[in-house]
Amino acid sequence: MKISLDWIQNYIDVDLPVSRLVEVLDNIGLLIEDWEEKNGDIILDVETYANRPDTLGHMGIARELAAALGLALKEQRLPLTETNENISDLIDVQIWDEDLCPRYCGMIVKNIKIGPSPEWLIKKIEAMELNPINNVVDVTNYVLFATAQPIHAFDLDKIAGRKIIIRRAKQGEKLLSLEAKDVDLTSEMLVIADEEKPVALAGVIGGENTAVSDSSQNVFIESAHFDPVSVRKTSKATGIQTDAAYRFERGADVSFPPKAARMAASLFSQFGGKVCKGIVDVYPKPRKIKTVMLRDHRVTSLLGVEIDNGFIEKTLADLGFQMENKQPGIWQVKIPHFRIDIEREADLVEEIARFYGYEKIPIQLPPLRSLEPILDPKKERIQTLRQLLFHYGFDEVVNFSFMDPEKEKKFTSDLDPIPIRNPISTKAAFLRTTLLGGLLENVAWNTNRGAEGVHIFEIGNIFHMDNETYNEHLRLSMVMTGSVGERHWKEKSKEGSFFHLKGTCEALMAQLRYGSFSFQEENHPHYQEGCSLVLHFKGEEIGCLGAVDQKILDAYLLKQEVWAAEINLSLLFEKQAQAFQFSAVVKYPSVNRDVSFVADNNVAFEKIREALEKLHLPYLEKFTLYDRFAGSSIPQDKVSLSFRFIFRRPDRTLQADEVDVFQEKIIDTLKARFHFQLREGGEN
Amino acid sequence: MENLKIEIQNKRKAFENALAKVKDKHSLQDIRNEYLSRQRGIITGIFEQLKHVKPDEKPEIGKLINDFKKHVQERVQALQEKFAAPKKALEKVDLTLPGEKKYWGAPHPILLFQQKIENIFLRMGFSIVDGPEIETDYYNFGALNFPPHHPARDDWDTLYITDDVLLRTHTSPVQIRVMEKRKPPIRIINPGKVYRKEAPDPTHLPMFYQVEGLVVDLGITFAHLKGTLEYFLKTLFHEKIKIRFRPSFFPFTEPSAEVDIECTVCGGKSEDCRVCGGGGWIEILGSGMVDPQVLKNVNIDPEKYSGFAFGLGVDRTAMFAYQIPDMRYFYENDLRFIRQFSLK
Repeated sequence: MKISLDWIQNYIDVDLPVSRLVEVLDNIGLLIEDWEEKNGDIILDVETYANRPDTLGHMGIARELAAALGLALKEQRLPLTETNENISDLIDVQIWDEDLCPRYCGMIVKNIKIGPSPEWLIKKIEAMELNPINNVVDVTNYVLFATAQPIHAFDLDKIAGRKIIIRRAKQGEKLLSLEAKDVDLTSEMLVIADEEKPVALAGVIGGENTAVSDSSQNVFIESAHFDPVSVRKTSKATGIQTDAAYRFERGADVSFPPKAARMAASLFSQFGGKVCKGIVDVYPKPRKIKTVMLRDHRVTSLLGVEIDNGFIEKTLADLGFQMENKQPGIWQVKIPHFRIDIEREADLVEEIARFYGYEKIPIQLPPLRSLEPILDPKKERIQTLRQLLFHYGFDEVVNFSFMDPEKEKKFTSDLDPIPIRNPISTKAAFLRTTLLGGLLENVAWNTNRGAEGVHIFEIGNIFHMDNETYNEHLRLSMVMTGSVGERHWKEKSKEGSFFHLKGTCEALMAQLRYGSFSFQEENHPHYQEGCSLVLHFKGEEIGCLGAVDQKILDAYLLKQEVWAAEINLSLLFEKQAQAFQFSAVVKYPSVNRDVSFVADNNVAFEKIREALEKLHLPYLEKFTLYDRFAGSSIPQDKVSLSFRFIFRRPDRTLQADEVDVFQEKIIDTLKARFHFQLREGGEN
Repeated sequence: MENLKIEIQNKRKAFENALAKVKDKHSLQDIRNEYLSRQRGIITGIFEQLKHVKPDEKPEIGKLINDFKKHVQERVQALQEKFAAPKKALEKVDLTLPGEKKYWGAPHPILLFQQKIENIFLRMGFSIVDGPEIETDYYNFGALNFPPHHPARDDWDTLYITDDVLLRTHTSPVQIRVMEKRKPPIRIINPGKVYRKEAPDPTHLPMFYQVEGLVVDLGITFAHLKGTLEYFLKTLFHEKIKIRFRPSFFPFTEPSAEVDIECTVCGGKSEDCRVCGGGGWIEILGSGMVDPQVLKNVNIDPEKYSGFAFGLGVDRTAMFAYQIPDMRYFYENDLRFIRQFSLK
C-alpha cells in the first residue's frame, strides 16, 4: 500500500530522514518495498499483511510509527456546517440481513457544489495513484486511504422512496455498476437497495443509477460494516476487485463508521455543503470489546528473553490496548476493534516482540535432546539410485508434474489421469501419468540445441485416479539417444542402445539387491512393437523398457531412435531386498574354457541360457557370452557366438580331463537342442 | 620296472602330443596342472610308483622320472614365455595427448542444493520426512489456521483438483501429519515439490521446491528459532553473512518472522541491484513460533509445548547462491545448464 509522508504528518509530527523511517517501519514488520520522491512528497510502498487491515490507511500506519518512535497522535477536528433539517426526516435505513451487515451509518450533506477538488486533495489522490474525479468522489477515496474505512456517496435525490434497505439480492436482480457493467446478482450477495432496486453491491461497488454526477446537489454518505466472508465471496463471484472490497474482506473496524461519515461530511462542508442534523446509525447488536489474558512468564517462555513489565504496558497502551493489571505479571488486555488480528496471548506476545525488536532477542541453539530419528529407507534408496545413474553417465532432470492432455492421449495406458480444475494453461491441465513425456520434451529441447546425445533420468511422482481416490506413485524413468560423452582419440564413442539401457536396469536392480528379477518380451503401448521388455520381480510387473513408439516420438517431433525405461519405485520399494551376505573366496584356481559356435541367428539367448542352466553342471561357476557377430566369414542367417565357461571346485584344483567332460556335455547339448556347430579358429 | 619305463615313455609322448595342441595360456595352464600338480599331477603319480621298484633299480628310474619332470618344466616354461605378452621397451609416446575423458552424470541443481540444505539440518539432529503432493484442504490450510474464505489464502494461489483436493502449496501439511502421529520432541525438515497457480516468469513458477522445518519440544523459544536459522544460513552461505529477522505474518505462526540476508551481490550498495532491487536485503526464509491453534489442532497442549517452524524456497535460494537470473532455467533441463553442476 502506498503511504504519503506528507499525509502521515496530519496525524503525527515526524521529522526523520527517510532511511531512518524505512528502518523503523521494517523493524516493526511494515516492510518498505520501495520508496520515491514525488511532487515534494515521499511515497512509501508498504507491504501489508492479510491479518492487518488496520494498516491499510494512513492513520493505522501513523499509529504504528507513533508507538515505535514514542510520538503522540494528533487530535482530529472535524467541524461541520449544519442545516436545520434532520436526517431522520430525509431517509429511512433498514438492515434486513444483519448477519451480513452488523452496522450501517449514514449522513446527508445538501447543496454541495460538485466540482474539481482543491489542490491539496488532488495531490493526496494522485499520491495514491488514482485519478481525481470530482470533490465528492475524491473525498470518499480520501477517507478510505486515511482511515481504511471504505465509504460511499449516493446522490440522495436518485434514491427511490428515500429508503435504504440492506438485504440479500433476489435471484435474477441486476445492478448496473459504476464500471458500467451489468452485474447478475444472486441471493447470496448483499446489496444496498432503495424502495425499487439494488443501488450498490454492499462493500464492493456502487451503482451507476445513484452515482453522484456533476448535476448532483445532495449526497447520502454511507459508512458501514459488512461481513468479510460475504464481501469476499461477492467480489470473487463477480470478479470485481475494489479498494473497498479489499478492506472489508480483511475486516474493518466496527467502531469506526460514524467517525468516517463525519470526516466525509466535514470535508463536504468545505465545498459549501450543509450537513443535516444527526447521523443514521443502525447497529442492532453492538459488539463487545474482546479481552485477552497476558502473562509475563509466557512472554519470556515464548521469546526466550525477559522483557520489562513497564515496557510491555507502555507498548501495548501506545498501540491502543487497555491494560488491566489483575495480579503481578498478569494483565487483562482489552483489544480495540481495529485490531481484529489479536485474539490470543501469542498475538500480544508478537506485538511486544515487534516493538522490543527482533534483533534484540538472543541467538541460541535449542537444547540438545536426543530423540528417535524418523527413518526413511525410500530416501536412502533414491540416493543410491541417483549416485549409480550419475556413475553410468545419466544427467538428472526435473520436469513439471503437469501434462498436456493432447500429448497424454498418445501414451495409451490404463491409468486415469487427474485433471486440474484451474490449470495455469490448457497445456498443463492434467497431472502426468508418465515421466516419459517430460523426458522426451527434454530430448527434443537438447537435440534442437545441438546435443549429440541425451542420456537423462528423472525420479518423481506420477498421478492417477481410481474412482474418487487420487494416487501418486514414485517412478524412475531413463531415456537415451545418441552418444554419451565426447569423442576421444583412444576410445570408441559409446552409443546409446537398447542393451546399454537394459544393462543399466540390470545393474540398478542388482545394486538395490533385487537380484531375482526377470525380463519378458512383451509389447507395451509406449514402445515399438517387438521392441520392448517388461521387467518382473516376484511375479509383479515393475517396469518396462524399449524403443519409444513412433507415434509418441512424432508428438515430440523427434526423428531419431530413443530408448526409454520406466520403473515403478513405489511398488519395487515395497518388496523385500535381499540381505547382503559375504561368501568365502575359493582359493583353488578356475579352469576356463572358451568355446565358439556357429548358430542360427533366430535362437533366443534366453533359451540357450535356460538350456545351460538346466544342465546343472557341477562346478560351472558362470558363463558369459563374450562375442557375437555375423558377417562375411559366417554363413547367411547364422551368427557366431563365443562363450567363456568358468569352472571351479571349492575343495581342490579341477583336472583338465574332468573339465573336458563338462565341456563335451555343453557342446553336445547345444548341438542337439539348437543345431549349433563348433566354429574352428576358436575365439577370433 | 620295465612297465614303469614304458609308462614314462608313453606319458612323455602324450605330453608332447598335448603340448602340440596348446594354443593359449589357458590350455597350457591346464597341461601344467595335469602333469606338475603336486598332489594329483601325473609326475607325482609316477613318483608314487617308485616305492615299488627294487632298491638297486631306484637310481636309474629316479633319474628317468626326474629327467621327465625337468623336461616338462622346461617345455612349459618355454611356452609360457612364448605366450606371455612380449615385453617391449616402452615406445616413446606423446605424453601431451589428452587423457581418457571420464564422464559422469550431473545432478539436477535444485536437488543438489536441497541436499546441501538437508545435510546441515541432519547434523543438527533433524529427521527428513516426506509426504503426498496431492493434499486436502484441511492439511494444506485448515489445520494450519487458515480460516475458510480468508484473504490470507490469496498469498498461496492454489491449483485445485476438487473443492477439497488440491496440489499442496507448501510442505507444511507434512508437519501436521507428523504431529498427528508423534508426540514431542519433534525435529524434522520436509523437502519437496509444491505447487502454485502462477504463470511462469523469471521469479515465479507453478511448481518449485521447498524445505520446511519444525521443532516442537518443552521450552522452545524464539531465541532458539534465531539460533537455528543463523547457524543454518551461516553454514549455507558463509560465517560472516549479515542476517535480519523482521516481523511478518503467516497464519500458522505467531509471532512470525521473515528472515533476510544481506545482498552479497551488491553488498547493499547499488541502488538498482538486479538481485536485491537496491534494498540491500534478500528475503530468504519465512518462520515463526508455531501458532497455538495449530498445536491444538494436532492435540499438542500449547501451554506445555512450544515450537518453531520455518520454510524456504530451494529454487529461490539456489538462484541467489549461484547467481542464476531466471528460475525457468531449472525446468528447461538444458544439459548445457545442468551439466555445469556435475562440478559442484
